[in-house]
Amino acid sequence: MRTALGLALALMLMSPAGHAVTAGEAAPPLSAPNAAQQPVGLKDYRGKVVYVDFWASWCAPCRQAMPQYDRLYRKWASRGLVVLGVNVDTDRAEADRALKRRPVSFPVVYDPAGSWPERFDLPTMPTGYLIGRDGIVRYVHEGFRTSDVPALEALIDKTLGEKP
Amino acid sequence: MRLNLFCGALLAVSLLSGCATTARQDVQPWQRGTLAKSEMAWEPDPLMAEYRRQVQYSKEAASGGATIGGGGCGCN
Repeated sequence: MRTALGLALALMLMSPAGHAVTAGEAAPPLSAPNAAQQPVGLKDYRGKVVYVDFWASWCAPCRQAMPQYDRLYRKWASRGLVVLGVNVDTDRAEADRALKRRPVSFPVVYDPAGSWPERFDLPTMPTGYLIGRDGIVRYVHEGFRTSDVPALEALIDKTLGEKP
Repeated sequence: MRLNLFCGALLAVSLLSGCATTARQDVQPWQRGTLAKSEMAWEPDPLMAEYRRQVQYSKEAASGGATIGGGGCGCN
């Protein structure tokens, strides 16, 4: 009986408890399909500074953040910045409607099953991960307020300036 | 006896690991869209709900406290 309880306890501990990705860790090598059903992964942007933005159509601050991220992307794409939008809507049509209303120029991938947010163990919606050219997470941005933009912009600028 | 012990162990494992999985059933931040769906609302049809409240208030000659038992001051 003691063995059984021990085994059960071990199983409980082994159950998939998420591990939140924090600054200083390597970003998990995930991949998801884009609008054209082509798989897009973080490894495709190796050597670039990537800002992974988790968003959903039902999340108001996400919708507020996207034009700001789009502006940063267009401003600094030439310096090697990529904003990767990860949509977590379970219904693709809702995501498409949101994108039609507010089009963005940065790449967007669709993860209706929520495997990316599960792997990152997202603390809130939206959350942004700034990943350096070496694939290491520099900064985790929880939530979004317009007042966060200047500090975030400065941080991205600094990360873009780092030697690869 | 040995078989019984084995069966007991198997049962304990399955039951307790069941506890572990149900403990992880919290709604995650990225799943909250489901809660935002209209069918998850307390009142999926606000107009109909308002109409029903109107009828109830007229019949009861009192207003408020329509949501949860024990609510409302009952003072009018």
